[in-house]
Amino acid sequence: MAQVAQPDYDKPDDSGEIRVKVICLGDSAVGKSKLVERFLMDGYKPQQLSTYALTLFNHKTEINGQKVSVDFWDTAGQERFNNMHPSYYHQAHACILVFDTTRKVTYKNLPQWLKELREYRPEIPCLCAANKIDVDTSVTKKTFNFAKKHNMPFYFVSASDGTNVVRLFRDAIKAAMKYKSNPTDIMDEIMQELENFDLDPGNSNGDSSTDKKSKSAIGSPATDDGVVIS
Amino acid sequence: MTTTTLQLLKCGLRFDPPTLVITYKDWKANKLRRRSMPLRSFTKHSNISSAIKELTENKRHARFVQLLPEAQLHRLLTIMKDKLCGMSLEVSIARNNDIDTLDPNEDLNKVDPETLTRKKLQMDSTFEKNRKKPGDPDFQYNVEIDFETELGRVETSGWDSGDGSDPEF
Repeated sequence: MAQVAQPDYDKPDDSGEIRVKVICLGDSAVGKSKLVERFLMDGYKPQQLSTYALTLFNHKTEINGQKVSVDFWDTAGQERFNNMHPSYYHQAHACILVFDTTRKVTYKNLPQWLKELREYRPEIPCLCAANKIDVDTSVTKKTFNFAKKHNMPFYFVSASDGTNVVRLFRDAIKAAMKYKSNPTDIMDEIMQELENFDLDPGNSNGDSSTDKKSKSAIGSPATDDGVVIS
Repeated sequence: MTTTTLQLLKCGLRFDPPTLVITYKDWKANKLRRRSMPLRSFTKHSNISSAIKELTENKRHARFVQLLPEAQLHRLLTIMKDKLCGMSLEVSIARNNDIDTLDPNEDLNKVDPETLTRKKLQMDSTFEKNRKKPGDPDFQYNVEIDFETELGRVETSGWDSGDGSDPEF
């Protein structure tokens, strides 16, 4: 597997592609990797992030005529609550929250995964997937209130026989693209501001009285990078 | 494939010295054979997955090791490790039976990596059994099935009833 550094999803694209990051969350052995593999089939190139035990799969596709380069992030079996590296959540544009319909405990843990996600990404779209329906298809007649309660789209899927896997991932990509074009997280807004900001060399070092530590203080005229973010 | 003429019949362990033993049928030669594969560097501190990797990469043993299902290899080497740690065979087998049984209520976020690997291998057998893959006559890349909407579903999963596990929301 190729070792790569973490890509920067906020960098402007040079190829006219939109670049999005979609992460998968959920308990150990709910089938997150199997779902990604089923969606990508042979067309994936797994890459290991050099610094952390995380795997990402790049996928290039076209949605409504727009070229998009998607990185699906997988936990590489490192999932423990409060133990996922922050870089896993960093700059993510959408999340697929997975549970295993044969194991109740994986459903009961969804609120904890959602809570952890929201600490890092308060606003990104989240889709809920009920996996392994091939084991007992009668689960598809039953109600699971978690998704509705949190206003998420819900999918009955099987990585084994393929049911609704493509639909789930295409919807996730669309949600990620939509979010990227109209982000509501405050950090995304700041990042976008930074991207769009026209550096004025005459002004960037103008206010030397600014506390260098107040990088996150919105409204302060300049940071120590010399970039105005107000 | 070099292994196609070999058929695994039995597998087991010899404890002293630690050895993996299999009997197999060599259909090409039409003979029943036994092969002993000494686990020379295996100790009570060995990591099971690494030991299996070593075995499957061993030029002399690889084609025989490949005959064993991965779950079986994990089980055998774990029993060997238990033995080296001083556990009785009876206790070790009971423990390994537990590991190879899926308990729907067990939180797999909390088990050790080796146990998780073995639980996944058990799940993989169901996954493979139900699997539709490219080349299968009924394989389709995009399978869309519209199940009854939430409102139309009549049964409750029973998984939402309060045990207080969703206090934050």
